[in-house]
Amino acid sequence: MKLEVKLHLPAVTPLLDVVKVAADSLGGCLAAPLRHDGLDAEFRSDWEAELVAAQNEDIRLLLALFGHEFFGTGVIVLDEANAEPVMRACAALRLRLRAHDLGALPDEALESGAVHVAGLAEPVQRAFMSYVFLATLQDLCLSHLGPSVPGV
Amino acid sequence: MTSPESALGGVWRVIVLNDPVNLMSYVVAVFRRVLGLDESTARKHMLEVHEQGRSVVWSGVRERAEHYAFALQQWHLTAVLERDET
Repeated sequence: MKLEVKLHLPAVTPLLDVVKVAADSLGGCLAAPLRHDGLDAEFRSDWEAELVAAQNEDIRLLLALFGHEFFGTGVIVLDEANAEPVMRACAALRLRLRAHDLGALPDEALESGAVHVAGLAEPVQRAFMSYVFLATLQDLCLSHLGPSVPGV
Repeated sequence: MTSPESALGGVWRVIVLNDPVNLMSYVVAVFRRVLGLDESTARKHMLEVHEQGRSVVWSGVRERAEHYAFALQQWHLTAVLERDET
């Protein structure tokens, strides 16, 4: 199955700038830091390296949707092959935006979506809209493409 | 002193901690995908995470617990391992 999504370029382009900055700022860090204090140090470091590599690859796939062709057509194509990496990349970038750009917003407001956008400073507005945009992409993948569930 | 084998033996729990970012529908889908849970069990665990801050989503031998914790972390849920002392 394939899902073609036509996006409004003037609305999405500024959000992609925010998303790319968030992606670059992750660098070699995990969006959801490891909390396994009991793990052997070497094992933990191997785990972390594998997780970072997987996260980087997912984000690379997500950003590839918004390449040169996208800026001509405004269309992205989601399918069974890219849905899972896209969903994971969106999760990683939302966590990054939350930690670095949306710290002033209370958890309850973010969870409920009850945010008075017009009252936010312009950079925070853009970060919040990017955060919502990534959730929308995740939701599209979830509704139409999976993820695949073993045994179903 | 505890030997490395006995330290890793026994029953281990995989616990998922709440975060204010991941969508409820996403968390349910990840539980289904990674742990093979049915929809209603996945939803029950998601609500537990949301309302109580944590949910024990799996328990068993250390090796598999590590596998599940790693996979959940790959989907950017915060998962921790705890030894079951009961």
